[in-house]
Amino acid sequence: MGTNTVSSRAPSRRQVLGGLAAGAAVTGFPHVAGAQAKAIRVGMPTILSGRVAILGTSSRAAAQLAFRQINEAGGINGRTLELIDRDSKGRPDEAAKVTRDLINNDGCEIIIDGEASSGAFAVHEVIRDLPVLCLHTCSETSSLSADPKLHVKTAFRCARQGIHDAVAGGTYAARNAKAKGLKRWMTCSPDYAYGRDNTAEFLEFAKMFEPSIETVDQVWPKLFAPDYTESITKILQTKPQAVYSALWGGDLVAFIEQSNLYRLFNSITMFSGGLGDPPVLTAIKQLPPGLNTAYRYNRNYPAKPANAAFADAFAKIAGHEPTNWAWQVYLGCLFIAEALKRTNGRTEGTALAGALKGMSIAAPFAVGDTITMRDSDHTIIGYPVAWGRTVPKAPFVEDFSDVGWGKIVELETQWKKSKGYA
Amino acid sequence: MRSGLLSPGLLRDVAFAIAALALLLVLPMAFPAPALRDFLIYFFAYGLLAMSLNLLVGLTGLVSFGHAAYFATGAYAFGLLMQTGRVSIPLAMLAAVGGTALVALVIGAICVRLKEIYFSFITLAFQMFIHSVIVTWVSLTGGDQGLRGGIPRPPILGLDLNDARVLYGACAAVFVLCILAMRQVSQSPFGYTLRMIRDNPARANFLGVDVTAMKLGIFVFAAAMASVGGLILALFVSGAYPEFAFWTTSGEAIFMIMLGGTTIFLGPLVGTLLLQTLNHFVTIYTEHHGLVLGTVILVIVLGLRRGLADVVYDWLQGRRTTRPNTPAGPTPEGAEPAPLPDGALKSRIV
Repeated sequence: MGTNTVSSRAPSRRQVLGGLAAGAAVTGFPHVAGAQAKAIRVGMPTILSGRVAILGTSSRAAAQLAFRQINEAGGINGRTLELIDRDSKGRPDEAAKVTRDLINNDGCEIIIDGEASSGAFAVHEVIRDLPVLCLHTCSETSSLSADPKLHVKTAFRCARQGIHDAVAGGTYAARNAKAKGLKRWMTCSPDYAYGRDNTAEFLEFAKMFEPSIETVDQVWPKLFAPDYTESITKILQTKPQAVYSALWGGDLVAFIEQSNLYRLFNSITMFSGGLGDPPVLTAIKQLPPGLNTAYRYNRNYPAKPANAAFADAFAKIAGHEPTNWAWQVYLGCLFIAEALKRTNGRTEGTALAGALKGMSIAAPFAVGDTITMRDSDHTIIGYPVAWGRTVPKAPFVEDFSDVGWGKIVELETQWKKSKGYA
Repeated sequence: MRSGLLSPGLLRDVAFAIAALALLLVLPMAFPAPALRDFLIYFFAYGLLAMSLNLLVGLTGLVSFGHAAYFATGAYAFGLLMQTGRVSIPLAMLAAVGGTALVALVIGAICVRLKEIYFSFITLAFQMFIHSVIVTWVSLTGGDQGLRGGIPRPPILGLDLNDARVLYGACAAVFVLCILAMRQVSQSPFGYTLRMIRDNPARANFLGVDVTAMKLGIFVFAAAMASVGGLILALFVSGAYPEFAFWTTSGEAIFMIMLGGTTIFLGPLVGTLLLQTLNHFVTIYTEHHGLVLGTVILVIVLGLRRGLADVVYDWLQGRRTTRPNTPAGPTPEGAEPAPLPDGALKSRIV
């Protein structure tokens, strides 16, 4: 369903008539959407079909959960929040189109951008043209918020970002390398921009903290490759002490399962940026213990009752544990609700952006007390960037080791200077 | 027969184009929903892609699987030039179209020497090559993230393209001009030579036609027209993305042609409108849009066995010929004769 008030239901006659009316709007009738709406409409362009549909379905479930809780608590000055989602099919031009439709045709006053990176950049440009409040909740590409040339006054990122993960990952890897004498490293990451950038940043910081680390080889399997035998064989031949991988989703599941056949992890220490997502962990039939992974989501970390309650409530709606995207969307909804409260329900993009700048909220996922929407570059800090180790039983990752945000911010500033962003 | 400098056919086409442009410009004034403007700009972009592909598929009999490569080349060339901040929009458009034509000249010189499925596959191979270049040349194209930072829209002759209504008007004018240009090519002696090549290349060759040069000519022209579609989309979404050059975009253009039909000149536009409308509404109500669109295409392919515009045209022709004492009129210039039965002489228009 494209329109969800909170709970999804089968299309009714009213919805079908509504569809016909929307058709009439596109084919000519004057724009009336939202004129009499009591609800505040929040649009969500996202990927609901294809290979990464879980990105969109879990994002949608998280927004449904958050809006239900906000509405049950009285809404915003008596107004409820209504979610309208739309499938972009993973195409950036389609993401731009549906975002414009959500704002122009469906009367959405706020956008939660549930697009992967290239789609997020497309949505970002739409927001430059149509300046409603927009929260990017899935893109991890650092430049989206770090590059001042791309700055859009009403656009914010409520998602982890690559540079934060790189600092945390590098610190964790260096710590392990020093403790266990891991000097010979190899990488196995998908052959596209994210895979290469992510791997380069991880190695840069790992070597900065532990100069003895040496990259002995790198393999780049194709994105969405079904067979990793060639890469695994190369790793076995090279005999590194540790392997870092930026593989994610189904690719990572296939790589781990195929590596199990070769007992790869008996002799090699594995570091993965994407393994910590619960759907990935549960999809692996025989999850080897002791693999090192970045936090994506875990119901036991941070160990707070609110976090476990979120996981339970989300699982009731979605039928599975929250994903990384789910907590980010949920957090984005909390930011939106708080911003609306501070503006007394005003939905103008500039007013909401003003309220959101520098806002700190006590979220279930905060490492400390709060997660902050940083004023200077419209991005969150204070979220979990810990690394842990896999165990065979749910929730599959434990022994989380965090990195202080003070250190992350300091190194992020240096990185920004090196890129000409600061 | 000519009247003055312009033939009656050209005069009629120009009059039709002016009327169409007037209608397109009036439509958003009468119905000011921004969504209508947005929808029509997408229609212009993908309409030009489908129409230009039909110059190869319908007019020349060259089934290209890689036409979106030129759509993307136009979009990227235009976007990159505009991001330099040193060129005006018209200059960037001309350079993008010219650049795409040059790329198509090089690729076409290799492709048009092949026939049938070999031609189709080599065009697909070149498309994937261009897609790979876009994805891997990160410093120039932004890689798989696309061209970031937006595409500036400086004013042209006092017109501010940041105003959505002005942008729409400019896109509509460019669209109509391109359709008019394609129409003239299609109705020119060159266009009729292409029909002869489609129906009987050996005969065309025997008559002294340089088949390879003719095919190359239309290949380059079709690529240039596709690039205009790409730059309209780039201008509108303020970016360019590798998906523009992916094979699925070429596949969509082929769907548009199948839905609309290849016989009527404007058939691909009917297909574009149909596919874009279906896509728009089906996406609102279900994420299983592939199933719905697949079913519609299946019904059209199996049920009608030709494009919608072709069916309507044949039905109208049928009514005209079955009317008693009414001689069948000459074939209108907007359409080619209905396909002949299997086994009949293929060279129907020479």
